[in-house]
Amino acid sequence: MKIFKKCLLAGLGALALLGAAQVASAQETDQVGRAAYIDGVKGKKVIFVPISQGMDLNQAWVMVWQRHAARYGFTLEVRDPNGDTNAGIRAMQGAIAEKPDLIIVQNPDVQTYARLLKQAQAAGIKVLQVNMQSATQTDSYVGNDWIEMGRLEMGELAKHCTGPNAVSHKVVWLAGVQTGAANIYMRTGIDEVLKANPELQLVSDQPADYISEKARQITETVLQQHPDLCGIMGIWDNAEVGAGAAVAAAGKQDQVTIVTNGAGAATGCESIKNGLLDVIFNFNAPTQGEIAAQQISELLQHPDRKAGSEKTIFFGPITRVDKTNATGRNCWKPEDIK
Amino acid sequence: MPGSGKSDDRRLGFKASQEVVVVAISIALFVVFSATLNNFLSQGNIIAILKNVSILGTLAVGMGFVVVGRGIDLTMVAVMVVGVAFSIWISTWGIDFTLAVICGAVLVAAIGLFTGVMVAIAEVPPIFATLAIASSVYGSGRIVFASDVLYAPPDIAWLKFVGNGSVLGIPMSVVIFGAVAALMGLFLRRTRFGRLVYATGDNPNAARTTGLPTRPIIVTQYVISALIAFTAGIIMTGLVTGIDTRLYNSSLIYDVLLVVVLGGIGLSGGQGGVRNVIAGTILVGILTNGMTILNFSYTSQNLIKSVILLSALAIDAIINPRDEQTSQSGDI
Repeated sequence: MKIFKKCLLAGLGALALLGAAQVASAQETDQVGRAAYIDGVKGKKVIFVPISQGMDLNQAWVMVWQRHAARYGFTLEVRDPNGDTNAGIRAMQGAIAEKPDLIIVQNPDVQTYARLLKQAQAAGIKVLQVNMQSATQTDSYVGNDWIEMGRLEMGELAKHCTGPNAVSHKVVWLAGVQTGAANIYMRTGIDEVLKANPELQLVSDQPADYISEKARQITETVLQQHPDLCGIMGIWDNAEVGAGAAVAAAGKQDQVTIVTNGAGAATGCESIKNGLLDVIFNFNAPTQGEIAAQQISELLQHPDRKAGSEKTIFFGPITRVDKTNATGRNCWKPEDIK
Repeated sequence: MPGSGKSDDRRLGFKASQEVVVVAISIALFVVFSATLNNFLSQGNIIAILKNVSILGTLAVGMGFVVVGRGIDLTMVAVMVVGVAFSIWISTWGIDFTLAVICGAVLVAAIGLFTGVMVAIAEVPPIFATLAIASSVYGSGRIVFASDVLYAPPDIAWLKFVGNGSVLGIPMSVVIFGAVAALMGLFLRRTRFGRLVYATGDNPNAARTTGLPTRPIIVTQYVISALIAFTAGIIMTGLVTGIDTRLYNSSLIYDVLLVVVLGGIGLSGGQGGVRNVIAGTILVGILTNGMTILNFSYTSQNLIKSVILLSALAIDAIINPRDEQTSQSGDI
């Protein structure tokens, strides 16, 4: 009896589906809400002011957003100041004057664009900040939880450099640009771990300016002072390869643990395989780009919401990558994203 | 002849004095750091100092060579990063890396040739010509290479040797810097061409009137400085496995110029030599090393560096006040 009932139900279900399909083909029913969505985003204008498009993370984001823009008919213009803060200010001023529907901005530091972002919001332009925050909070921020990043990296060093088997308790923080959001917030996380592990000794705290040769020079000098150094943490895999090179030149690859973070590009995985880096906390820039793309859609779909009326934050995923998992999705290449 | 024996002596005195001031400050810093910092005087740290200034020093030798001839080459950092990045880029097409480096050297020499022609024949003032060319070279690189950071192939034995090898305990980067400096020193002092560079720098019009081939000399200077910049880039690639083209945006080119001027090569040309470059390089090296060991913050490092460098220039200005004899037309 039960089996008969089930069969009957299945048959009825199949009939219903068939019927629905027929209706669909007859009326060309649209996916619910799609027309409104496309209407919302089509023809909208988005301007992105990065720090520099030459960085791997920026390339990943823009590839993702361009694809999204092409599919749904909005425009994305990239105004690249190429690392020049003054050019960045001009780019921001120009973008605000053009009154686009959305400005995406990657802040070089927390102060430079702070007033300009307020101006943009006051002018009714929505602002999405990516990965590097300003002191001014705007409609949305998509990017790293930098305090957590600092905590993770110094926590990793704490694992290696505390306890009876540690070579020493000496660790180094190779900073980036000291006024940058990543630097400021990572420092908060670092300090928390240092407080919880009082035996850890921060013997050097110097900015390498995101430049590998500078990271190499600092590491080389510090290693002379502290031959028993246990760990180094940094802020960008492409810069910390310099620290790795100095450690390798001193023949201390087994002794010194090098931890950093990065966009997850294949070059970072290569550096792990070459033994220049030990751990990268990978924030997967293509995924970050997709989350930001979702925010772009959301902000464009609701022109009725006033700029700055709702402030949201989305922290992207962070994956710990070492020798064992430096493969596949943890090591993207630009051609994989296209 | 424009320079009588007397004024030559004066110029010689001027040159030596600034160098002496810089050397004295270096020695003072060295003594203070040795007395106060652990391990500063260790063999390892002295080698680290030299290794850390090898790139700056190599670039400064090339810059010094051009400045002696009353020129200035602001393209050096752009040429260095783009030349090496070009080599790495074409090696990704499957070309042998060594061959790619040779191609890069040819490209760099061609850029140097173009710069030289713009300065010597089109007679564009070198500061403007090289500023504009630096921008174009870097800009072209930015368009061609997708990323700022380019990594060299991992298994190139000679490149690894440049980065990690050593000869008699001296790292290869320092050996190359030393070799470039020694060759340049000999070239400037011992060859006829070297003397012609001084003559051109001292008074280009007089040099030309007396029949010296000033234009070919200037063109050659820029080709050589470009090749020296490329050499510095290769050292860097060996040291850190790749090249970061964003260095163009850093203050490196000004540091190079600073080392040259600080060491006592006047921007008015015709004076100084490799010894001055080495004096300036060592001062910057000792200073940076000491402050890194002291773990000074970035801001205070920059401040202290500027104050010491400025005082070196100020002391020189007091000891050797400028007058009509020592300052020349074309002095910046």
